[in-house]
Amino acid sequence: MRGRRVFVTGLGFVSPHGEDPAAIFERLFLGESAIRTVRTGTPEMGADVLLASIDFEPGDRIGKADRLLMARAAQLAVVATRNALEDSGLMTRGRGPEEAAVYMGCGLGGAEILQESYRTYSARQSRRVRPTTIPLIMASGPASQVSMSFGIRGPAHTYSIACASSSVAIGEAFRSIRDGYIDVVLAGGAEAMLNDGSVAAWQGLGVLAKEHADGAGASCRPFDLERTGLVLGEGAATLILESEDRAMARGAHLLVEIVGFGASSDAHKLTEPSVDGQERAIRNALEDAGLTAEDVGYINVHATGTPTGDPVEIEAIKRAFGPAAQAVAISSTKSMHGHLVGASGALECGITALALDKRRIPPTANLTVADPACDLDCVPGVGRDAPDLEVALSNSFAFGGSNATLVLRRA
Amino acid sequence: MTPYAFLAEVLSEKYDVDPTTISPEATLTELGLDSLTVVELLFDVEDEFEIEIPEERATFETLAEAAALVEELLRAKGA
Repeated sequence: MRGRRVFVTGLGFVSPHGEDPAAIFERLFLGESAIRTVRTGTPEMGADVLLASIDFEPGDRIGKADRLLMARAAQLAVVATRNALEDSGLMTRGRGPEEAAVYMGCGLGGAEILQESYRTYSARQSRRVRPTTIPLIMASGPASQVSMSFGIRGPAHTYSIACASSSVAIGEAFRSIRDGYIDVVLAGGAEAMLNDGSVAAWQGLGVLAKEHADGAGASCRPFDLERTGLVLGEGAATLILESEDRAMARGAHLLVEIVGFGASSDAHKLTEPSVDGQERAIRNALEDAGLTAEDVGYINVHATGTPTGDPVEIEAIKRAFGPAAQAVAISSTKSMHGHLVGASGALECGITALALDKRRIPPTANLTVADPACDLDCVPGVGRDAPDLEVALSNSFAFGGSNATLVLRRA
Repeated sequence: MTPYAFLAEVLSEKYDVDPTTISPEATLTELGLDSLTVVELLFDVEDEFEIEIPEERATFETLAEAAALVEELLRAKGA
């Protein structure tokens, strides 16, 4: 379906590798992991866990009083969006474009606030739960706080679709602009669920990576024979999406064009992925973009580093791409920044945009001996230059069987 | 610490209210608080003085009125 063209005109990150997009990309290109061992929880029942956590300090970018009404995820979203608005040149005296919309992905919302309320109730045997608890734990907190912080008065929507949340937010933002409903969207996602209760729940699920002999940074190993699981991260990423007319009229820098979005559901299992559902998301996205697999030079894959998940995505790419699968470069940057769940789609879409802009493909770190079931070109170790790179995909596949693929083209 | 001094301290430290605007006559609305942040502030006051502020008594507007209410509840508690 053709409609108006949609460009990314600003990028903002708060990520395990920092906030500056160029510096983040450089570290990823060199294969540098931000994963470390962190002591979480209480002294009595804490644990050493591999995490891609952030030493986040909003400083004067969020007022002290405003912070009282924002869970960590919302604070991350506000700072990432501030960075994106400044990058796009759309910030005027601390305010963004009033007519814009906000589409944010988030999985758990204020997880640490919910934990604190239950701690009060159970551990302290008290019903005195803080009055701000409910409005802070809502998954819609990031979108609402972005709207309030920058005076954005269009729709503020939240997409809570587990690991696909922010890819869908960006995809729906792309469609809203392409189809003429709106001219500019602040689209992205935020996630902050590294509080010890949430981490313990992830441990219970049995999908987290064990520490590798070569250290914490070597522990997330998508496609590698020694992979043992995923590593949780946290952060936020916001992309400014603008219609071609609006961007051209103000002489905006066009970072990349978004040309397609495909979504599908597995209708299969809660946590077990399906080749069929992922294949359909990729096919839908390419069809939406009016492109073929031969046009695609790079895929930033979902692959989290779990033994079962990675080969499923490889198989889905093979089926969707046919013979072209052998020529496409694919990499999982989660090997370095971890899995940001509701924010991962936006972070990875941003990284994919930078890869197209720079014509440089980031690697899959820690891929030393490939699993024979993962026999595509997975760009092991360090990045590579790709002088002919024109089109790239960003995949996000969620628990619950929700699949999303975005198609990006060089501007 | 007196109730008034505690209110003044929390307002400036936690709610980032400019200390020069804080006075007994100032209302919480004038100082930038809304219905939610007022409830949050009273939660801190209750914790600090180990009292319970009945909902129907939370009708004060100025800091002096709020401080007087806390003093009254403290006297009732001590009695």
